[in-house]
Amino acid sequence: MNAFGLAPLIIFIPAAGFLFNALFGRRFVDSDRKVGERWSGWVAAGAALSSFVIAVMLAASLVANDFEAVTVTILDWITIPAANFSVSWAIQVDTLAVTMMLVVAGVGSLIHIYAIGYMHGDPDFSRFFAYMNMFIFFMLILVSANNYLMLFVGWEGVGLCSYLLIGFWFDRIDEKKKPMNANAARKAFVVNRVGDFGMILALILLFWAFGSLDFDAVFHSAEEIFRSGHEISLFGTEVSIGLVLTAVTALFLVGAAGKSAQIPLYVWLPDAMAGPTPVSALIHAATMVTAGVYLIVRSNILYEIVRASGETLPLIGISSPALVAITGAATALLAGLIAFTQFDVKKVLAYSTISQLGFMIAAAGMGAYVAAMFHLIVHAFFKALLFLGSGNVIHGMEHGHHHLSEHGEESEHDGDFDPQDMRNMGGLRHRMKTTFVVFTIGALALAGVVPLAGFWSKDEILAHAEFNRQIGVEIALILAAICTAFYMGRQLSMVFLRKPRTEAASHASESPRLMTWTLIVLAALTILGGLLNVPFFSTGAARLAEEAHDLGLNLELEQWLEHSLLSLELEKADGLVDVPNTPLSVDFSVAGISTVVALAALGLALFVVYRNRPATAEDPDPLQKTPIWWFSVLPLNTLYYRTIVPAFNATASWLAHTVDWRFWHDWFHDRVIRDGYVALAHFIDKTIDMAIIDNGLVNGSARAARWCAFQLRRTQTGYIRNYALAVFLGVIVLVVYIIFVAN
Amino acid sequence: MGEVTIGWYVALSATLFTIGALGVLLRRNAIIIFMSIELMLNAANLTFVAFARHLNDLNGQVIVFFVITVAAAEVAVGLALIVAIFRSKNSINIDELHMLKG
Repeated sequence: MNAFGLAPLIIFIPAAGFLFNALFGRRFVDSDRKVGERWSGWVAAGAALSSFVIAVMLAASLVANDFEAVTVTILDWITIPAANFSVSWAIQVDTLAVTMMLVVAGVGSLIHIYAIGYMHGDPDFSRFFAYMNMFIFFMLILVSANNYLMLFVGWEGVGLCSYLLIGFWFDRIDEKKKPMNANAARKAFVVNRVGDFGMILALILLFWAFGSLDFDAVFHSAEEIFRSGHEISLFGTEVSIGLVLTAVTALFLVGAAGKSAQIPLYVWLPDAMAGPTPVSALIHAATMVTAGVYLIVRSNILYEIVRASGETLPLIGISSPALVAITGAATALLAGLIAFTQFDVKKVLAYSTISQLGFMIAAAGMGAYVAAMFHLIVHAFFKALLFLGSGNVIHGMEHGHHHLSEHGEESEHDGDFDPQDMRNMGGLRHRMKTTFVVFTIGALALAGVVPLAGFWSKDEILAHAEFNRQIGVEIALILAAICTAFYMGRQLSMVFLRKPRTEAASHASESPRLMTWTLIVLAALTILGGLLNVPFFSTGAARLAEEAHDLGLNLELEQWLEHSLLSLELEKADGLVDVPNTPLSVDFSVAGISTVVALAALGLALFVVYRNRPATAEDPDPLQKTPIWWFSVLPLNTLYYRTIVPAFNATASWLAHTVDWRFWHDWFHDRVIRDGYVALAHFIDKTIDMAIIDNGLVNGSARAARWCAFQLRRTQTGYIRNYALAVFLGVIVLVVYIIFVAN
Repeated sequence: MGEVTIGWYVALSATLFTIGALGVLLRRNAIIIFMSIELMLNAANLTFVAFARHLNDLNGQVIVFFVITVAAAEVAVGLALIVAIFRSKNSINIDELHMLKG
């Protein structure tokens, strides 16, 4: 089947959905709440679903096309013939891009459907769906781009949508009268911008070095230059390609750190939980934050060249990919520890996301691109599941709270009740059975319990670390996995198990069917997701699969992605070729260790530490007496508030008062422009108009005519003798003329 | 003194014409001006007749008849004008007729 022509639609249908909701949505929703919400929400969800269907069709077309990538150009954007530079908006349909499209559109549509139920009753219903569709639009531009500039367009666009959606309830203020949602949105955007700075520098460097920003052009010329050993000429000096690419890849890491919340730019993600839960699920779990991982995986050839060239970064002495791996591992561990100390159900998941992103980035840094993508996909499934499940929980708690206040039982102070605080929950497994089941599936998948999806992907990353003898990274990731299991057990225990700790919790209600059914779909995906890239249990089986692969069967994610990952191909001793540095069969030692420790941590959390405590809402967390609680202090967060925010405020204030008001308005506009204009008008009026034109030309010609007339009038004396004399003189003239001249 | 040639007659005509012209230009009385005009006309007549005799062409003498007739008609009209002016201004001093002064 050939559906490549439909590729542009995958981007434009969500754009149409955005326009519909932006222009007409409010009218629909305000006129008739029930019908209007249905229209607005289902148009948006329908647009996302259409994108998913097209993505499936593109995948099928790729299979039919022998997995050859196809580029579908939409329009030529920038063309500078003098510099031989052109950037076009083209969709690259290859296996990697299609994988991302399927994840974004698929999980996105499920979340859209969930959000129809979640956002029911909100006065800004249509604006929400407009932004959600716009987000899908930009994210698909990002993943379908065939050059770095379009990727950056999508990059910026999702940053914008993230800002808009985090600050969706922008008028909400907390107890200290601070606009917390607006601040969180701004923080996300500003921190993202720091990452974007790195991205832009990287793009500039790529252009200088290779003269183009297209993926194909950059990758092929990079590989050629590397293999031939030539050097690149930059500013008159010859630099080796390894050095140039080290800089580029390090700057990509900065960009990915901003977008995918790595150290030190992760501070925006926990605050971003101020947005509605579907936003947290879509943007901050499944899609936007994975853009950094996608960037690194897409640029895999560049990282491999750096690794093969052996260039190291100055001052630190490690190579750029190693820095990526270390950053990822450190983030995974740090975030995992911080998650221990969180009471807000969504913040736990936020730090968990940061931690899992650390896993993905570490995998990409080590060269395990397929493992990184595998983890990305399954993480999207179960993290979205967990977030939406927490959305159910929050909804249930709010219902319980309203239920209470309706019945006049004021056992808590209304203003202080936080439906997201886990200390107020407990025992919800009886009240919200479906949510409990799906949430548990998600939690176990995240903790890495076999045979759920999370186990396979996390294990592949750990096996990769073991295979390549990256001990530090491996230990950090195993510790992070232990933390993950522990805090998920903690969350399960505090939210669902034991007895309800507050009245609101005991009156919580299950969510409507629309919301729970999407969760069931996600849970199914979580259970089955592992099959995407199940590793082989022996080398013999791997060889069999290789032969099947040669015959055209592509069973696994690895083989599917192989066609897009232009890695330096290495042939192993026994003739098997694969994406470099990837183990081909399962490593039982690593798998065994990780399973054992994960189960142990889970059991520790569920049955030992959080068995009976905290018993009431005010009871302290059992961990508070341990040193782990020190991670609840977020040094980077405080740093941000002490340095960046005041600096930003001061700069904005200075710009507003001095530059804009005093200089621009007062001086420039009033004195320069206005007074100058008035002076010019006066000059034109008095000097030119009145003096020259009126007086000089118009009046002057009148005066001249009058003078002539006056002079001529002097001949009209009225005296007959004068006239007679004139006649006489005329006659004399004529006679003289006739006699002397005319002959 | 010699013979009376054509030159004498022309000189006489010129003298008469000049006196008549000066009379028209310099005299104030309207009747005197008319007399001067008559003088000029008659000077012209004299010239015609002299040349008719000198060139032996009778056309000259015929023109004199026309001129005399025209002069008579013109005097009639002119005197009527002077009578009309006298009736309104009680004077025929042409210096007083400057109503057309611009």
